[in-house]
Amino acid sequence: MDERDHKLTNFSSKDFELIAIRSREIGSPQAIIDAIPYGKFIGVEASVIENEIQYTMDRKKTNIGNPSLPAIHGGVIGGFLELASAIESIYVLEINAVPKVVDFSIDYLRPGRYKKMYASCTVLRQGRKLINVSSNAWQENKKIPVATARCHFLVP
Amino acid sequence: MSVDLKFKFFKSAMKLAMERTGHGAALGLKLTKVEKGLIEMIFPYKKEVIGNPITGVVHGGVIVSLLDTCCGCAAITVAGFATVTPTMDLRLDYMQPAEPEKPINISAKVYKNTSNVVFCRGVAWQSDMENPIAHCVATFMKLSKKK
Repeated sequence: MDERDHKLTNFSSKDFELIAIRSREIGSPQAIIDAIPYGKFIGVEASVIENEIQYTMDRKKTNIGNPSLPAIHGGVIGGFLELASAIESIYVLEINAVPKVVDFSIDYLRPGRYKKMYASCTVLRQGRKLINVSSNAWQENKKIPVATARCHFLVP
Repeated sequence: MSVDLKFKFFKSAMKLAMERTGHGAALGLKLTKVEKGLIEMIFPYKKEVIGNPITGVVHGGVIVSLLDTCCGCAAITVAGFATVTPTMDLRLDYMQPAEPEKPINISAKVYKNTSNVVFCRGVAWQSDMENPIAHCVATFMKLSKKK
């Protein structure tokens, strides 16, 4: 933890660039998530499966929104998809900076049960200024989505 | 009179549910105002939720969580005790990045309450409410708890 704190205060854009390049070299987007504290806070992990990045979010007590069901907090699902979209654009589009989010829109289709959650993203368009990423979250079956989101980023 | 008492109880129950359990407790948010159709909250800056390690700005996902919680609470205040209000959708526009190491204020208002759906609007701001970090619109379904 101390090392992490120390790292945060002295973190430069060059460091982030090196992490992004390195993660592509080793073929693991996890390295980018490790550089972002919010990823650890909600417990996001990423791995490449069949040329597609799959994001997972483990069940975590601090992610519960409704303790009586229990269900995952809607905002956490939103945060998960937003983070996944950002990682997708950094990794796939070879952007070596943190993209700025302009807007984010999410539709909740089903309650997120207190179980592991998965997500996948698709970059729909990369323009000179804007990136549009769509993302889906599911739990047991990819065909039964829990939420779907759409996100715009400014090209840094 | 009885309505006021009921609302008073409701207020403290909501405060407890939001500040002491689950994600609300993890974020450390505080409810500062609970009225019918109007909720205000404050989120103290936390190092754990940084989204940009270079600048120390909180991640956009935190703003999603805060606004979803705040709008959801506002929806419950108008929907009544016996209902649950799951979010149908939420749209968020980021106007400017949040300043690091400063608390974030959230305020949400219900602008239309119909028999099945509640429409809410929320803003996140730091020093000036007229110059917000983010603005959101969210819709909530009204479902009866009894089945």
